[in-house]
Amino acid sequence: MASAPQASVDVKSVGATEVSPPPPRPNVPRPEVPFDTARGWLREMMLIREFELRCMQAYQDKKIGGFCHVYIGQEAVAVGCIAAVEKRDPIVTAYRDHGHALARGMDPRHCMAEMFGRVTGCAKGKGGSMHMFDRANNLFGGHGIVGAQIPLGVGLAFGTKYEDEVISGGKSSRVTLAFLGDGALNQGSVHEAMNLAGLFDLPVIIICENNGYSMGTHIVRGTTMGHDISSKAGAYGMEGIAIDGMDVLETYWAMRDVVDRVRSTSRPVFVDMRCYRYKGHSMSDPRKYRTREEEEAHERDDPIGRLRAHLEGRGLTEDDFKGIQREVRATVRAAVEWSDQSPVPPMSDLYRDVYLERWGPYTGSSAPEMLGGGENETSFKAIRPVDGEGELL
Amino acid sequence: MTATMREIEFRDAVREAMSEEMRRDMRVMLIGEEVAQYNGAYKVSRGMLDEFGPRRVIDTPISESGFAGMAIGAAMLGLRPIVEFMSWSFSLVAADPILNNAPKMLYMSGGQYGCPVVFRGNDGAGGQLGSTHSWAVEGLFSNVPGLKMAIPSNPADAKGLMKTAIRDDDPVFFLESERLLSLKGDVPEGEHLIPFGQARVARVGRDCTLVSFGRPVHFCLEAADALAREGIDCEVLDMRTIRPLDAGAIVRSVRRTGACVVVDQSWSFGSPGSEVAALVHRECFDDLDNHVHRVHSADVPAPYSYDLEQEYLPNTRRVCEAVRACLYRA
Amino acid sequence: MPVQITMPRLSDTMQSGTIVRWNVKEGDSVSSGTVVADVETDKATMEMPVYDDGVISKIMVAAGQQVPVGTPIAIIAVDGDDGSSTASNAVPAQGNASPAAPAATASPAAQQPPRPTVAPSAPAAPAERVRVSPLARRMAEELGVSLDAVRGTGPSGRIVKQDILAAAHQQPAPPAPAVLDTRAQPAQTALAIGTALGAGSSEVVVSGMRQAIARRLVESKSTIPHYQVSMRVNMDPLLELRTMLNAQLEPQGVKLSVNDFIVRACALAMAAHPFFNASWAGDRIILHGDVNVGVAVSLPAERGGGLVVAVLPHANRKGLRDISTETRALAEKARTRGLGPEDMAGATFTISNLGMFGVDNFTAIINPPNSAILACGAAVEQPVVRNHQLVVGHEMQATLSLDHRVIDGAMAAEFLQTVKHNLENPATLLV
Repeated sequence: MASAPQASVDVKSVGATEVSPPPPRPNVPRPEVPFDTARGWLREMMLIREFELRCMQAYQDKKIGGFCHVYIGQEAVAVGCIAAVEKRDPIVTAYRDHGHALARGMDPRHCMAEMFGRVTGCAKGKGGSMHMFDRANNLFGGHGIVGAQIPLGVGLAFGTKYEDEVISGGKSSRVTLAFLGDGALNQGSVHEAMNLAGLFDLPVIIICENNGYSMGTHIVRGTTMGHDISSKAGAYGMEGIAIDGMDVLETYWAMRDVVDRVRSTSRPVFVDMRCYRYKGHSMSDPRKYRTREEEEAHERDDPIGRLRAHLEGRGLTEDDFKGIQREVRATVRAAVEWSDQSPVPPMSDLYRDVYLERWGPYTGSSAPEMLGGGENETSFKAIRPVDGEGELL
Repeated sequence: MTATMREIEFRDAVREAMSEEMRRDMRVMLIGEEVAQYNGAYKVSRGMLDEFGPRRVIDTPISESGFAGMAIGAAMLGLRPIVEFMSWSFSLVAADPILNNAPKMLYMSGGQYGCPVVFRGNDGAGGQLGSTHSWAVEGLFSNVPGLKMAIPSNPADAKGLMKTAIRDDDPVFFLESERLLSLKGDVPEGEHLIPFGQARVARVGRDCTLVSFGRPVHFCLEAADALAREGIDCEVLDMRTIRPLDAGAIVRSVRRTGACVVVDQSWSFGSPGSEVAALVHRECFDDLDNHVHRVHSADVPAPYSYDLEQEYLPNTRRVCEAVRACLYRA
Repeated sequence: MPVQITMPRLSDTMQSGTIVRWNVKEGDSVSSGTVVADVETDKATMEMPVYDDGVISKIMVAAGQQVPVGTPIAIIAVDGDDGSSTASNAVPAQGNASPAAPAATASPAAQQPPRPTVAPSAPAAPAERVRVSPLARRMAEELGVSLDAVRGTGPSGRIVKQDILAAAHQQPAPPAPAVLDTRAQPAQTALAIGTALGAGSSEVVVSGMRQAIARRLVESKSTIPHYQVSMRVNMDPLLELRTMLNAQLEPQGVKLSVNDFIVRACALAMAAHPFFNASWAGDRIILHGDVNVGVAVSLPAERGGGLVVAVLPHANRKGLRDISTETRALAEKARTRGLGPEDMAGATFTISNLGMFGVDNFTAIINPPNSAILACGAAVEQPVVRNHQLVVGHEMQATLSLDHRVIDGAMAAEFLQTVKHNLENPATLLV
């Protein structure tokens, strides 16, 4: 399938050492996004940025444990993509999920509290940084195993189409956004999922947040056709396009096109979302695999800076900007304080939410042995031997 | 309840359960390799495509990991897919979604997203299919909290447990057996549901309790008949589900007989059989005349050659030997 | 007969002593008065004599060791005995009077394997560990089989169920075990009788069942804090009603006894007094739902004799007629075929009535695991006060024995009040 206009690719140069440059901005006249909307996106991106910085600080203060993958640099992707879909459209992503959660509307307090392991977190403290779930906002996680979320995303698209067409007898009208990183593109389950999506005509947009690095491995070292990953879409009968993910307006409009197309055709699309993460893969990454110069070059292209410049051209004042800055700082600080003061989950929560219905829809004659230990320690003292007719001996 | 009984095959009972549930609830669908146009690799889903159409009986390519994950995503949304693995041996490539996603989704999301999926397929050895196709996965998967596991031994239980499994809001691993698919038995018509965690006393006895799951229940019944001629009266418990396990039934029985033999077709190390043995020692310590004896498949990869494979299985002869040993009558 | 020497209490405050020095060694002859050791007590080092003639066959505690008072320290083989018996068979020689005890199973050889008087060549202490399966151990206790008498056929000589059954197969069936696991008592070792049998005395074989009954009674009296509460009941209304009913029911072959009314009165009272239908279970009290009333039934001598408790299950759901019929059936069965375990298990409350023997009043021993037992005397015609008048009437004395852990005095009084009310208004027992 045709990809977006870009420099022609020499298909024989598999294993190239350079990634092709990001696609030039298409010469398509875009309507202006209303000022307030764009200002809202600026605020959202700044909120995400501030939130992630405070996460890093909290992690170093040992308030956040385990893994913490921050989204700094990629804010435009989440904000732009999510702005392009409706609330009823499901979203699933991988473990670098704070940005998506906040852009989808999760209260920063619940997001931070989850990472602090408090019971007020979105997953009651039982998920952690990689498992941001928000049912009210149709955010289906937050997943830790690389690539595992793509079959889930394909499943969500299968589900919405099934509900809309098979159960309701109408036409599929929802679109699923399934995010993954460029490293996940090498995972088998992703390819199986793409095959299924293409085969079953599923309304899913598989968005590869291509920041060029799979932890410490540059994409050309790990992925065939890494210089042009949208070419992989063709192998599955899917359209593949590349979008500049460092420009939120560009991201928004490009995604709007894709979303509208997917909504009406119910054909999957693969997006090579070019972006860059400014920090390491996770908190323990010293980023020795790239140069400081490279990082600085990308930082000059900061999506927040870009949108700010755009808005200043439309009347955003210094005070206004500082006001936004103050507001997001206060919001995030409040989230941290609230999380600090939130209680940890009670010990009894250890055994909660393992099963929806402990014994299944119908109860058996005796308490079955379902979970070992803890609250499920069944007392057998009262059990008396029974003969074949059920009579007590 | 006096339901009409008719004699049908195990495979028919499974199909009947799936079909009845699909008629009852539009959210249920069947996904798997060859389930639709081929009428099922083992003819379990024969005729279902004709009745329900290709939107609800769906042929998939050979991508267990992909379509298992897809089913789980649909289940998170609220649908209730039935996923057929042509053999549970093939579920190993889908281990990540079925073990890392399905049983954990509710917990990881803090109670927001459940996963009402049924994974089903043929489990166990005996058809000379070779070691890679002869897995008894209860030994691997029963370990994981968050999933439920059902393992019927006869057609009536197959129907009753399958209907319950489909209506269950948690992920259920439903272990059938290629060797049992042609087994005939009386199955009630209509709404026949068997609760999870409720064992069946397949044979009442006084001298020794045999605890078993799935196909090995038949080995136990044959052994009980043989042992009866020696004056040993065995009680046979068909556990029906491994998670949840009807521990009370086991405890009640062993407290009466004082002797227990567990017969499990999975390998012995870290298996449901070990779990039963530990349970019995814990709860019936003062009632036992001997330690719990265990009969498992031999601790080797399943062999191909017929005699070797029959010896590999927890067969009737080995069950008899274990009972005699347990009762000091060896 | 070997004599066991234990660490003596050489001062009134002595708790333990150290053997400073042995003056004898194994094989030495001693006689009454020989100082065999120097023992250090809490106050001083004292001489320790023996009081028997014989040979030191074993010294169990070496010099320098401190042991508590009463610890066996040596054995003397008295007058020709080879002294290799187990310590448990020996009579403690110092200070402890041997209470007279029923003889061990000295029954004819055909009944069961004889109690060995010679232990296997293992030393007397520490004894060789006997391997017994948990089930066999429990069965041995229930059936009154001594483990010393059993040869184990399991691995490493483990005693298993079939060994116990083989050892006990000649004995009459003992009462079934209690519904609740009473604390397992160690098998009592029979105390050998040190005194010779005098002329004219004889021995009575004690059956396994009797032994079990004996054990349970001892256990009941020694572990349950018994106390008694009595009440007198005006029996005239009940006797009148009974006479009338029996006359009317005679064509149907029903004959109600006074005890039937008492059973019903108690069963009905349980609803308001659930703790009388309960059992102490250590950290909690189990309130039984159904009322299974135990009635004392006397067994004829050829059935083992004595009084056993037969159970009327679900007495709270039975009317007088059923209670009467079933009780009579049980008594008949006891006379003719003997009662089986199913007839004797599961009582939650017991009634013992010696009225037919003319007894005024008596106290009964609680039948574990019950919490109470009602002992009824005869309904005696005697001078009584009614409406401030001295008249002649029938009064019965009912004495409750109670487990104070479960029931306190006030509860007992209230229960008796209810029972008394039921009995004195006997028409209420008809519905």
